[in-house]
Amino acid sequence: MFKRNLPLAIAISFGALTLLGLLFLPDLSRLILSWAAFLAAAALLLGVLNLFAIHLQRLTKEGSLYSGILILGMTAVFGLAITDQLSITQNGVMTAFNWIQAPLEAALASLLAFFLLFAGFQTLKRQRSLWTVLFVATAVILLISQALTATTLLPDNVRDLFNAIQNNINNIIAVAGMRGLLIGIALGAITLSLRLLLGMDQPYNK
Amino acid sequence: MNVNLALSAILIITLLLLLFTRRQKMRSSGAALRPLSAIAALDDRLGEAIESGRQVHVSLGQGGLTGTAAPTSVAAAHILTHLAQEGSASGAAPLATVGEGALLPLAQESLRRAHDEVGRIRDYKPSMAQFVAAETEPYAFAGGVASVMQQNNVGGNVMVGRFGPEIAIIAETAARQNINQVIGTDDPSALAAATAVTGDLLVGEELFAADAYLEGSPSQIASLQVQDILRAVIAAVILILALVNYLNG
Repeated sequence: MFKRNLPLAIAISFGALTLLGLLFLPDLSRLILSWAAFLAAAALLLGVLNLFAIHLQRLTKEGSLYSGILILGMTAVFGLAITDQLSITQNGVMTAFNWIQAPLEAALASLLAFFLLFAGFQTLKRQRSLWTVLFVATAVILLISQALTATTLLPDNVRDLFNAIQNNINNIIAVAGMRGLLIGIALGAITLSLRLLLGMDQPYNK
Repeated sequence: MNVNLALSAILIITLLLLLFTRRQKMRSSGAALRPLSAIAALDDRLGEAIESGRQVHVSLGQGGLTGTAAPTSVAAAHILTHLAQEGSASGAAPLATVGEGALLPLAQESLRRAHDEVGRIRDYKPSMAQFVAAETEPYAFAGGVASVMQQNNVGGNVMVGRFGPEIAIIAETAARQNINQVIGTDDPSALAAATAVTGDLLVGEELFAADAYLEGSPSQIASLQVQDILRAVIAAVILILALVNYLNG
């Protein structure tokens, strides 16, 4: 009973205090949020240890090459952080980040548009409904009109027409849909948060 | 201060509505919920994976438990709990990946309790939930999750929680492996990317409604009803304000 009620009491009281703090006592809210941030940082450390342990196990048991590279990378960056701290190297971690991590992430990000376009056409092949056709057609119209409005080869009145199409799709249809979506999300988040605050939902006590 | 008072009023009204409708739901039996294909697809993905002797991969995304994404992450955790309960009973517990430190203990606890409930605690391993990358590195997370799916025996993919457009990379990896997917998120850019990949989508508020469909407790059903009432009120206010603006020129 105690084991079940203690987390509930802590969750409800801290939730209520944070809410009160956010609305009327900002200092209290900041204090509680700083505790939460500290816990989140500790959880991140646990996460990194979990990643290391899983890949070390995979390396030793299965001889996985990718896991070996990950362990090597983690150890090297950790080593660089120590040598940076001891002033043996300068900005070693940032250099590794700028030379390896940033270009890799940029490459993945630039592939995203191709992934999306490919996925869109795959969907059209797989499931040819009115909504899929509308989805792909809108994406293609927007892509083409963006490309056409960027060029100076077209006459001004044609570019204005494409601009108007783009603006109407983006500012009226997309914004209206997005606002509806966000209102629904906000309502869902509010009711779920209230259920957590009242202890009706206890994800920590299932 | 006025904004705070308005927010307090909204919270109090929502709270009262929630308590009132919950009381009503506790008295009445059953509730008619509109069918959501993505909810049914969750169990389908699990069933397919079990039949093929593989695992379902569940990713809880990169939303934390201390920021604005907290409700989304809690809603996603409900889905993981459901799949963990159903899966561990059949000896096919899901493989969970997270992209935020605080989600790791949440996912591990969901999986541990699910194993405990069905008397299979010996089968539980903490490595069933894996941390992939921090929330500041969305593309590293996407690449990591894609590699987890490729390296493990995954037969179904469920991605629920806070994701960005990088979800397309994970979803495309799953699609190339012919893995059926269910995606639920509250991020519009991730939803746009997900629409291109799967028809089984939990769009925004549907993710928050998933627990009511899966567990169906009176408070969960009541919160759906409260959302409907508030949505109708907001829609009416928007229409009235638009009309007033139009009439005022």
